[in-house]
Amino acid sequence: MTEPHPVPYAAPAPGPLDPWPGEVTWRPVSPRLVWLELTRVVINTAVLLAACAVVGVLWSTRWAVIGAVVVVVLDVTRAVVAVRAARSYGYAERERDLLVRHGRMVRHLSIVPYARMQFVDVVAGPLERAFGLATVQLHTAAAASDATVPGLEPAEAARLRDRLAALGEDAGEGL
Amino acid sequence: MTSPAHPPEPATGAATPVPRTPDPAPVPGAPPAGGPLMIARQRLHPLSPVLKSVRTLIIVIAAVSWRGLQNLGTKNYALAVLGLLVLVLLYSAVAWRFTGYEVIGRELRIHEGVLFRRTRAVPLERLQSIEVVQPVLARLAGLAELRLDVAGAAKSEAPLAFLPLAEATALRGRLLALTARTPAAVPASAETAGEPAAEQPDEPDLHRVDDNDVVVSQFLTPPVMFTPLAVLYIVGQLMLNSDFGIFAIASMATAVAGTIGAPVMRILNFWNFRLGRTDDGRLRIRHGLLETRSQLVAPQRIQSLTVTWPLLWRGKGWLRVTLAVAGQNSAVNADGQRSRAETDRLLPVATLETARALVPLAVPGIDIGALPLSPVPARAAWLAPLRHRVLAAGLTDAGFAAVDGLTTRQLTVVPYARIQSVRVVQGPWQRRLDLATVYVDVAGATPAAAVHRTIAEAFGWAGELTERARAARQEV
Repeated sequence: MTEPHPVPYAAPAPGPLDPWPGEVTWRPVSPRLVWLELTRVVINTAVLLAACAVVGVLWSTRWAVIGAVVVVVLDVTRAVVAVRAARSYGYAERERDLLVRHGRMVRHLSIVPYARMQFVDVVAGPLERAFGLATVQLHTAAAASDATVPGLEPAEAARLRDRLAALGEDAGEGL
Repeated sequence: MTSPAHPPEPATGAATPVPRTPDPAPVPGAPPAGGPLMIARQRLHPLSPVLKSVRTLIIVIAAVSWRGLQNLGTKNYALAVLGLLVLVLLYSAVAWRFTGYEVIGRELRIHEGVLFRRTRAVPLERLQSIEVVQPVLARLAGLAELRLDVAGAAKSEAPLAFLPLAEATALRGRLLALTARTPAAVPASAETAGEPAAEQPDEPDLHRVDDNDVVVSQFLTPPVMFTPLAVLYIVGQLMLNSDFGIFAIASMATAVAGTIGAPVMRILNFWNFRLGRTDDGRLRIRHGLLETRSQLVAPQRIQSLTVTWPLLWRGKGWLRVTLAVAGQNSAVNADGQRSRAETDRLLPVATLETARALVPLAVPGIDIGALPLSPVPARAAWLAPLRHRVLAAGLTDAGFAAVDGLTTRQLTVVPYARIQSVRVVQGPWQRRLDLATVYVDVAGATPAAAVHRTIAEAFGWAGELTERARAARQEV
């Protein structure tokens, strides 16, 4: 990745998730992210179903059953979307910028130059910790910048954080 | 306690800190050109605590009056108000002793507070723009507030209130001189420090917006256009409805005042709008009828520029130009109130010719009349049936430009050096049509978006934009 023009102006047949085929080595996130997302959906389903059960026991209406069916249908859809989204995550460290892609329905690709980095967050919630995963967030001065890489092994997260922090350079613009 | 602005003595020891000088109107001495990066600790104007608490004071007096006049009687009431005033004055005297500001190294420190002492340190490198604001009350007292815009969260604002106007202008010059990386800028601004009435410009205005145009343009906005309808409705209600309470009338009057309030506020704010340029290339924007503002913005600090053609202004061929400067949205008044006045205008109303001449001052090398923009492919009509004729975007010499909006047309220009990150987003319908949207993220503004480009073009642009952004960053 030391070529002066890593991006040709008109890439040959760019795929929707691989804009620069052969030039960028995408790294996947941990496969455990899929299970993490599934666990989130299951917990959510359990809570909502419990609420439906409480309503059903207290008032014994048909609506509780209908609600439960709706919850199950919605959450199965959510699970499918979440699994596909989790599988779609990928990131690539280029010489001067970080690429992050994600999404199946709506496909996102972010290009964030290291020079624009303000700070790096490594976040691990209780559920993420249970799965031994962490999320790295790269923040720029723009609020809309979206460079979040979830589902990283802690060692990989620390490595990425250190590398990003080392690559950040002072742009000298007061930003 | 109304002390006028003293003419500043040119030979105040700038390098030696004088922490407890009982000088009632301290003035920062103008140091010799290229002097040390220090301003000794100075107090704010003695009236500052009074002016800052005047709003609270009015509320308290109103609250006391509500019950007080009935219960206490006129004499006791007068005594109570008098006591309150004395208390406020005493507090102000104490508070004033703790106020102060100083520049140490490359840091401005602002000291405030009596019970909760606060020292706010502002790194001068982080200053985005400095504004001299004169609210109505402060203007009567000949005082001004120095508002420092710092990039970042809403809490990072740093108002320096209040200083005599001359001192505020002089201090701004010196702070900007310290901010500038080139030492050549120091003598240019140091000479303004000697003027006691530094209100008059040291350079001619490049442009003056006609006040009539401001008034007409603000009346050509939807809220004002619909006000006659609202008034007609009220009158009709009064005529036909016999049991119509005073409360309903009052609420309707308030509604009308509310709709017409915003345009009137804008007229007051954009009155006497003047645009100038300092010797070191900064933009000087001054406006305001009651509350006057004078803002200095360096072109390097301009993150993006937006040209807007509102629907109702098309007949006149008018447009407005706004600037996005990081941290400016978070500008907060001295009394903690969010500033309602819009301070982001480069031109509140102008014709295309004027804008073409003046926009290059903010974004060099851009000609908004002849931008090399390309339209979107015809198949975008499936997703934007009417808008696709308007949508256009392109990579110009100076920056990324995108046009959007069917009724209110908007052109956004982001200089390459200001690009923070680039995103390509493709929704499910866009994927069917092989289209994608390119977002260019900037600090402190909504991202510029090139909607519905072909996928090859979108990824090509994304790569090209990062390349050009990097090249532009290294140039600076």
